[in-house]
Amino acid sequence: MSGPTIHSIDLEKLQRRLDRERRARVEAEKIAETGLRELYENQTKLQLLEEVAASANQATTIRESMQFAVDRICAFTGWPVGHVSLTERNGTESRILPTSIWHCDSERFKEFREATESMPFSEGTGLPGRVLSSGSVAWINDVTQDGNFPRWRSARQVGLRAAFGFPVLTGSEVVGVLEFFSELASEPDDALLRLMSQVGTQLGRVVERVRAEEKLLHDAFHDSLTALPNRALFMDRLQRAVSRAKRHREYVFALLFIDIDRFKIVNDSLGHQAGDTLIIEVARRLLDCLRRDEVTIQASKVNGRPRPAGDDTLARLGGDEFTILLDDIRAPSDGVRVAERIQQALAAPFRLNEQEVFVTASIGITDSSISYNSAGDALRDADTAMYRAKAQGKARCEVFDHGMHEMAVNRLKLESDLRRALEREEFRVYYQPVISLKDGRIAGFEALVRWQRPDVGLVLPGEFISVAEETGMILFIGNWVLRKACQQVHQWHIERPQARLLTISVNISARQFMQDDLVAQVRKVLLETKIEPSALKLEITETVTMGDAARTIKIVTELKKLGVRLSIDDFGTGYSSLSYLRRFPMDTLKIDRSFIHNLDVNSENREIVKTIMALARNLGMDVVAEGTETLGEINHLKELECEFGQGFFFSTPVDSNAALTLLREREPQPEVLIG
Amino acid sequence: MKGIVFNLLEEVVTIHHGADTWDSLLESAGVQGAYTCLGSYSDDEMAKLVGAASQMLEIPAADVLCWFGRESMAVLADKYPKFFQAHKSTRPFLLTLNDIIHPEVRKLYPGAEVPVFDFDSSSDAFLLMGYRSPRKLCALAHGFIEGAAGYYREKVSFEQMSCMLKGHDKCLFKIVFSAREAAQCQDLQSTVSI
Repeated sequence: MSGPTIHSIDLEKLQRRLDRERRARVEAEKIAETGLRELYENQTKLQLLEEVAASANQATTIRESMQFAVDRICAFTGWPVGHVSLTERNGTESRILPTSIWHCDSERFKEFREATESMPFSEGTGLPGRVLSSGSVAWINDVTQDGNFPRWRSARQVGLRAAFGFPVLTGSEVVGVLEFFSELASEPDDALLRLMSQVGTQLGRVVERVRAEEKLLHDAFHDSLTALPNRALFMDRLQRAVSRAKRHREYVFALLFIDIDRFKIVNDSLGHQAGDTLIIEVARRLLDCLRRDEVTIQASKVNGRPRPAGDDTLARLGGDEFTILLDDIRAPSDGVRVAERIQQALAAPFRLNEQEVFVTASIGITDSSISYNSAGDALRDADTAMYRAKAQGKARCEVFDHGMHEMAVNRLKLESDLRRALEREEFRVYYQPVISLKDGRIAGFEALVRWQRPDVGLVLPGEFISVAEETGMILFIGNWVLRKACQQVHQWHIERPQARLLTISVNISARQFMQDDLVAQVRKVLLETKIEPSALKLEITETVTMGDAARTIKIVTELKKLGVRLSIDDFGTGYSSLSYLRRFPMDTLKIDRSFIHNLDVNSENREIVKTIMALARNLGMDVVAEGTETLGEINHLKELECEFGQGFFFSTPVDSNAALTLLREREPQPEVLIG
Repeated sequence: MKGIVFNLLEEVVTIHHGADTWDSLLESAGVQGAYTCLGSYSDDEMAKLVGAASQMLEIPAADVLCWFGRESMAVLADKYPKFFQAHKSTRPFLLTLNDIIHPEVRKLYPGAEVPVFDFDSSSDAFLLMGYRSPRKLCALAHGFIEGAAGYYREKVSFEQMSCMLKGHDKCLFKIVFSAREAAQCQDLQSTVSI
């Protein structure tokens, strides 16, 4: 009956049911789609970040990783234009400079590219300037409608609209800005900007790493105190100059080796801090001297540090040693001109610790007119010339010549031969008798070292003692002579028990005297050689005692406690005051040969010797006259009641066998020889 | 073929001819008929549906595809307005097709096969647009272009210079735009409503 009605109700019901089902399906699809889309988008974002991070880890240059990022971001966003600019810092001011790192079709966006590359952006200006000043991302919906986009005209010309930029950050410092441009205007995409922020951080890591590497590299080749090139870098540059000079005749270089005179004194007296300050200040003045011509070339400044003009290199080799390579100069004489300029520049006083300090330098110069084969040779010659300048009285320049080289080579050979001489037992002790003027008998000997040098013969100390002093070998030689002489004299004591006790005088050099364990060394020799201590006379020059008086007194006193005796050698040459002498408990005074010479005819010398004799007597000291050569001198000394004489008149220094012969000859008839 | 295309077809057929027409189309094509936009279905099913429509209407399959393309543009504009609103005319909209379709499709279906369009926009008078797809549905693309022009209220004159169906390596359209709305492919509305 009511069938059709029921059917139509059912149909409507079913229709609604179907509608609900359909709506549910569409909604489910929508939800799934959104989820899938988000998933995909997150994945691609992650992938982008991962790729940028991986590239950041692998990239060796900032450029490489920036280029990768800019390409990758353009691929990610589908935006056609991307560009990298970098921050330039000048003191407190920063600005953004364009680079040639782009992602874009260079033909299509030519005008925009040119506009970008032609302008720096100050803080706050344009898109990069905004990123620079805020340190965070920036978005422009449409650059052609933006009030702060100086490139709007060219952007409109090539059809660019929306833009965003983000900073490359190391810490809070914006080191660069990446900017991207779309052909469509659009609203800010916050998710994208967040992602870009992270990319910026990753890129910052590359900058940080590259900077750290650059710093390491810089540190490896630069002196940390002055930031000047160090020896390694200098030698590299010098080697290049040497090689170039070999290839090109017209190429000339000069090499200056500069050493600050008496730098150690500044260091020791004002402290290392002041020494460091002085080195920095000297470095600065030296740099100023590198300007080539009288026409002042503005020294270009990099990172606030002055740099020499041209390709000249100023380096600090260490300590107070500087070197300068004058590259590609007109004539070798340019080296001398610069050296003179340096002397002038150093002439003005330096202020250190509120004190004015005056500094001079010794400068050695060489140049490519000597055909060098290696940088090492050139540096050696400049060093040699510098030593020559120093030896000639400091505050001077010396140009290297071959004579210097020969001298230097000889010296070097002497040094190495000297080192071997100890091992090869080439040293000899010679003995010069000290005669008692009263009876003409031998009171003792002075031990003197000789070097039996192979191929040369017997070498006197004058030829090698200064080198031995400089190299410190004097310590070994001195100790050896002491031991040898003591052994020998003890031997004679045993062989001639009835005779008077012979004394043996041994020279103690300044350097030996400075040793902390000198007393211990002497004690050891006394014990080992079993010599009677009072037979040993240690001779110290007057100048040695003039150093640290308190220390001298202490050591002299300790030596006296061992029972040995002490002489003042070369007395009269050291200008020590007579009252000063009183403070040291010395036994013997040896009058320098210069006062003995011509004693019989030179009344002035006679007066001096007389005064010294009186002084010695007052202080209870014996006197030995050195360098006695004539009978006249001897007679005068006897008149003055001088106890002992030593010199050619009696005997030159002789070897131990001859000395023994002398002993035997002199013992029975002393008066024959003395007359 | 992606489910969304089947959904689109269902939608335009239903809009213009009612749900019953869709049902009978499914039946005469002998296809399963349940499509979700998240799924992928055999290309063959689309071919059968187009074939069935072609038979029912006694018009070439290409015309069916063209009509489908044109009409579905309005539906798409409704669903994804932001892609359309970013442009003021057909030409720049077409130029961004690769950039829109490819990423969007791939977001949902990784590894999907997508048609590739190429453009020669050197002339202001016309646009040369190439189409390459293993499915060779250039008629559908033609319809889409006309539908887009309809959205922007522009008139397009359309010349197909080469066709993959004729053995060319791609289909090439020469398109001229002018500012008046007009439908170019056959109006099927009356014919289908049997």
